[in-house]
Amino acid sequence: MKLLPIKLQKHALHKNPWFLGLIVFMFSVWIVLNIPIEKRKYGLSQSNLTTDYTGLLPERIKGIVKAGDRTELQRIVKEANKNGHHISVAGLQHSQGGHTYYKDSVVLDMKTFNKVLEIDEQYKTVKVESGATWGDVQAAIQPYGLALKVTQSQSIFTIGGSLSVNAHGRDIRFGPMAGTVKEMTILTPTGEIKTVTRNDSEEWLKYVLGGYGLFGVILDVTLELTENEVYTIHTRVLNIKDYESYFSNLLRNDDTAMHYARVSVAPSTFLDEMYIIDYKKTGTQDNQTPLKEEHGARIGKMAIDLGRKGGSWEDLFWENQKLLIKSIDGDKITRNNAMRGNSAFMEYTKPSRVEVLQEFFIPVDQYEEYISDLKNMLPDNDKDDDFKIHNITVRYAPKDNYTGLNYAKEDMFGLVVLIQHGLQENEMDNAEAIIQKWTDLTLEYGGSYYLPYYHYQSKEQFQRSYPGWGKFHQEKLKRDPNGLFQNIFYNYYFIEGASHEK
Amino acid sequence: MKNKSERYIPLVVSVGQVAIFPYYIIWLKQASITFTLFAWLFAAFSFTAALGYRIFQSKKNTSSFIPFIYMGMGSLYVLVSILSNSFEFLPYIALLIQVILGFLQGYYHAWHIERKAYRLHAVNHYLLVGSVMVVLSFVKILSPVIIISAFGGVLFMIGFGLAWVTQVTCIELDDVK
Ligand SMILES: Cc1cc2nc3c(=O)[nH]c(=O)nc-3n(C[C@H](O)[C@H](O)[C@H](O)COP(=O)(O)OP(=O)(O)OC[C@H]3O[C@@H](n4cnc5c(N)ncnc54)[C@H](O)[C@@H]3O)c2cc1C
Repeated sequence: MKLLPIKLQKHALHKNPWFLGLIVFMFSVWIVLNIPIEKRKYGLSQSNLTTDYTGLLPERIKGIVKAGDRTELQRIVKEANKNGHHISVAGLQHSQGGHTYYKDSVVLDMKTFNKVLEIDEQYKTVKVESGATWGDVQAAIQPYGLALKVTQSQSIFTIGGSLSVNAHGRDIRFGPMAGTVKEMTILTPTGEIKTVTRNDSEEWLKYVLGGYGLFGVILDVTLELTENEVYTIHTRVLNIKDYESYFSNLLRNDDTAMHYARVSVAPSTFLDEMYIIDYKKTGTQDNQTPLKEEHGARIGKMAIDLGRKGGSWEDLFWENQKLLIKSIDGDKITRNNAMRGNSAFMEYTKPSRVEVLQEFFIPVDQYEEYISDLKNMLPDNDKDDDFKIHNITVRYAPKDNYTGLNYAKEDMFGLVVLIQHGLQENEMDNAEAIIQKWTDLTLEYGGSYYLPYYHYQSKEQFQRSYPGWGKFHQEKLKRDPNGLFQNIFYNYYFIEGASHEK
Repeated sequence: MKNKSERYIPLVVSVGQVAIFPYYIIWLKQASITFTLFAWLFAAFSFTAALGYRIFQSKKNTSSFIPFIYMGMGSLYVLVSILSNSFEFLPYIALLIQVILGFLQGYYHAWHIERKAYRLHAVNHYLLVGSVMVVLSFVKILSPVIIISAFGGVLFMIGFGLAWVTQVTCIELDDVK
């Protein structure tokens, strides 16, 4: 065999069909792995209309101020009091009902106000500016072997945004999020900077926490922390009727720190089957395990997109989830990582449709009867319906005595529902009718619903869900006499209501 | 017959492809989420076109595939016009389309430049593309997919017709033998 000179071999290589085929194959695989996950477009805009996470309430605002310096914020508040401008406060805008903006308001964008100020290892506290995310705080406290007491199931939200809705998540031991606040610095509607605690006679915390940005700006906050313990994941598939007793056992025994569950919305096991995920204590503190990042979002998104089609796809999606939880049974995870659920795989970008969240709270001991009534109310297969339910997660929301507008008047289960529907007028009306019916059922059981989401409910349903609304309103008028802090949420529930309610 | 099909059909195919190119680009831009992906999809097209070109050169009886190449390209254009833009897997499908289309176009181009009429086509091609684009600029088209699907349909029919005629000719030649 005659060997070709190297130059000629090289020349021949790019002409070789096999070589070219290999290049094409490798390049295509590389593209597939790097196709970005489409992100929904939302946010603050001065040139276009401003929206929040769902884009359902576009509105023109007057301006955006990127928060950086507290005296600058104080000056803006004082000036707005003089010239009658409205102010709204925005974190990461994952709220869905216009909570972060208002027609012609100046929006304080708190994302840039995000320094972790102080970590006290001995007393287990962290002082942080309100625009920081839970992720920022976790990154700062993890090396000390510390973790947060209560957060949402993901760490993507700002501290200010989370405290202003009094969020809840997978923790079942430390009570409401509001209870983990030791101290807070606020900028009041009249422009004073105050440091407040739970024992403060003026009760600022009662209204700022869960106050939806209506009682001033949270500047910084000192939060109680706990150990970043290693947990063992325990998973199990259950029948709905066994859940109440399962959960009360769980609460009674002290060995589980965190817990959540999912209810099947797949046609063949609709509201019959559920699976649970418990995080059992091991007694080991960790300061080594890195904070987990989201991986596999592409595959996750493909799977969730198929499941979103409903019918047998939803069945397949549910079976797949059960396999997945079986595969993680017995795994170890740190507390910090258990509070960092994935989010990118959930992006929903179908034109002319929207994906929204709703959450209904139901007293713990009413769960089984409630689900049974719900089963009669909802179709088990929504494949051909416009209104589609794709997921129901169940979480524990303990009784809250800290906030004025509290959703948990007693120990509750929160049912977080992921819904998609069309944006045509009739489709919006249909979604509203179904959600209002669902809310009525929830109210019959002594429950309530969560306020950071889109206002499908009527003003009357709001007042029934939140009997403390009148006092909350009085306090708002008293503490913010010029009505400086405004948002669409407040305008809807406290002033105008739905168009048919006026 | 062969002469005529080699004289006029490639001209129609080449001119048509260039004329629908702007419409196809609009579709592709909508299917790709970012400009980076848009550029990658083009790169994938180019690499596979090189592969198609090379495969044509390395094979012997290559002309017999041309009707199927037309049919393939035609079906892809029709597919593009059928796919809804809100389809969740569109970027992945767009990649697949770019890869197959690149291959077919590379193969076709390698075949075309070896035809005698190619030089003649080159001038006519430019003149025709110019004229077609001027005409299209006056036509108010609601959606690019209409143009793409119309051309795809024509291309498919040409390929199908050619395949059929070739078949018949072969049978007749066999009879003569
Ligand atoms: C995908 C997804 C998952 C979610 N999961 C959970 C969950 O597991 N548990 C849960 O309880 N909730 C959950 N939520 C709801 C979420 O907790 C709230 O929407 C939360 O407010 C989001 O934080 P944010 O930083 O985006 O706040 P924003 O939406 O920006 O703000 C929310 C409210 O806080 C006010 N605010 C923000 N910053 C300040 C500040 N510095 N001072 C005063 N007021 C301020 C705003 O004016 C507004 O009224 C989820 C929402 C989404 C979209």
